[in-house]
Amino acid sequence: MSIATGRAASPLSARSAKKPNVFSRMAAHRTDYLYVLPALIVMMVVIAYPIYYTIELSFYRTPPNLQLRDKVWAGFDNYTAVLSSSVFHEVTLNTVIWTVASTFFSFVLGLGAALSLHREFIGRGLFRALLMIPYVVSAVAASYVWKWLYHSDFGVIGALAVQLGFTSEPINFLDNRQTVLSSLIVVNIWREFSFAMVMMMAGLQTVPEQLLRAAQVDGATPWNRFWHVTFPHLKGVSMVTVLLLMVANFNSIIIPFIMTGGGPADASHIWITHIYQLAFGRQQWGAAAAYAVILFIVMMALGYFYVKALTRGDEARQE
Amino acid sequence: MTTTATYERPRVRKPIDWWRWAGRGFITFIMLFATLPMLWMILTSVKTQFAAMQYPPQWWPAEPTLNSYIKLLNPNDQIGQDFLRYFGNSFYVSFLTTVLGVVVAVPAAYAFSRFRFPGRTFLFFSVLVRNMFPAVVFLVPLFILMRWLGLVNTHGSLVLTYLTFGLPLSIWLLKGFYDNIPIQLEQAARIDGATRFQAFLLIVMPLSSPGIIATSIFSFIGAWNEYIYAYTFLSRDDQMTLPVGIQRFFTEFATDWPGLMAATFLMSVPVVVMFLVLQKYFVQALTEGAVKH
Repeated sequence: MSIATGRAASPLSARSAKKPNVFSRMAAHRTDYLYVLPALIVMMVVIAYPIYYTIELSFYRTPPNLQLRDKVWAGFDNYTAVLSSSVFHEVTLNTVIWTVASTFFSFVLGLGAALSLHREFIGRGLFRALLMIPYVVSAVAASYVWKWLYHSDFGVIGALAVQLGFTSEPINFLDNRQTVLSSLIVVNIWREFSFAMVMMMAGLQTVPEQLLRAAQVDGATPWNRFWHVTFPHLKGVSMVTVLLLMVANFNSIIIPFIMTGGGPADASHIWITHIYQLAFGRQQWGAAAAYAVILFIVMMALGYFYVKALTRGDEARQE
Repeated sequence: MTTTATYERPRVRKPIDWWRWAGRGFITFIMLFATLPMLWMILTSVKTQFAAMQYPPQWWPAEPTLNSYIKLLNPNDQIGQDFLRYFGNSFYVSFLTTVLGVVVAVPAAYAFSRFRFPGRTFLFFSVLVRNMFPAVVFLVPLFILMRWLGLVNTHGSLVLTYLTFGLPLSIWLLKGFYDNIPIQLEQAARIDGATRFQAFLLIVMPLSSPGIIATSIFSFIGAWNEYIYAYTFLSRDDQMTLPVGIQRFFTEFATDWPGLMAATFLMSVPVVVMFLVLQKYFVQALTEGAVKH
């Protein structure tokens, strides 16, 4: 029980009704709000207002210089323009591939790393720390390093491929419509698989040791032990991890933005980079806002599951 | 005689543990995948420009040199002067964001953890849902807002922005820590005559210092690494933070790969050191909330 509820159960509210109305409860808790207020003010100014503003802007045609007095009501024109534009189809496909592939491979690699590091051995802590460095450094740093690795003339990956006899001449990873998106996905996986690893390592600690030993005594193979004992215990963590990875990938902009800028010929544009280009490149503020609102709606659907997964943990802890 | 030995050996010998070897193989692969790019970055940064631009590449620098680093850290050199200024700007912005973020997040997280005021759940999740929205959605409106506030081209615009995307996570993390502090401790303090605020300040705050450290690392690293807002809000050269400033090196000296790798390395040093020293808290913060207690 909390201090606050203890205080709210004053004789007055007990006499008036079983359930006091919202306002009297709010009044009884008025000092509680003081704690939340600073956070709320900051959030309101920098979050609620922009959301409202983006939605409003998406219904107007705006001049490039962002002088908003000159905006013209356009109804759903911006939306139809975005949805029917010729590149929307390709960019959407790229977004799906980028999000799903990055999430899937990061998760699988992370889970594999967590399982291999679960057993105690010398140097385990060092291994974990080294594996996590790509996640800690800036995506900007990752982008530049990999841009250099992929360099069409002096890149070390291309040179290695030639030395090992895979190709006769260095591959141009980033200037090729066929390879660019997968090349960027590799960078993204490099950066974030260790997030999945850390989450799954924490999850593995919740698997009861006795169950595994019992299964071993009963003669279960390592695979069966993993599939029937370990994995069911990891379900909750896996779900949260996958959701967080999906949200992060859906929202990530830096790697494609720095490494290719969406090129060549839109082959590595995802929604986010495309919106940025519409807004700050072509100054089509209204269209960019409409695009952002569409993205918003998709994120809300993902967010629903995200919050649901998180509340389960929250409620479990309250009890 | 050797009969006992030849008799026992087949019984002792275990079948090859393929799973164990698969695990070792996998760990080797993933270690190479994670570390080789960073190793190549370091190797490139100590090459001369000439040595870096060779085909086939010099696998190991023939004449290692620290020239790129000396250039970047020399305050009398134009490049060094710029680089050190970016470094200072990044530090200033990240530090301010971290301190303000903790000051705002601590009371909010505490309230969400302890009090049951109407609208608590709604407010809490509206705070969290912020994490769902991509930076780009906020860029245009925030840019206009900052212009209206007269904050464009100031570090204030960045601090205010970083504060908001750090806040939800900070509140979430801290709430987890407060949930784990037994409420009886505060109740005892209240019985001894402390006010609610005193109980919070003198009992809860010291106990939650690991949480505050974890939260601070997170917001510092987040602010240090942020790129897209800094890129959009700042156009004046003397204001730029490192991630954006480094890009300038790249466009001006398009072929200076060793210099760029050295700059990238130096940019990564503070966050990596911070991570290595406070690793325990960092990992705790990452997994807090996702793994049920």
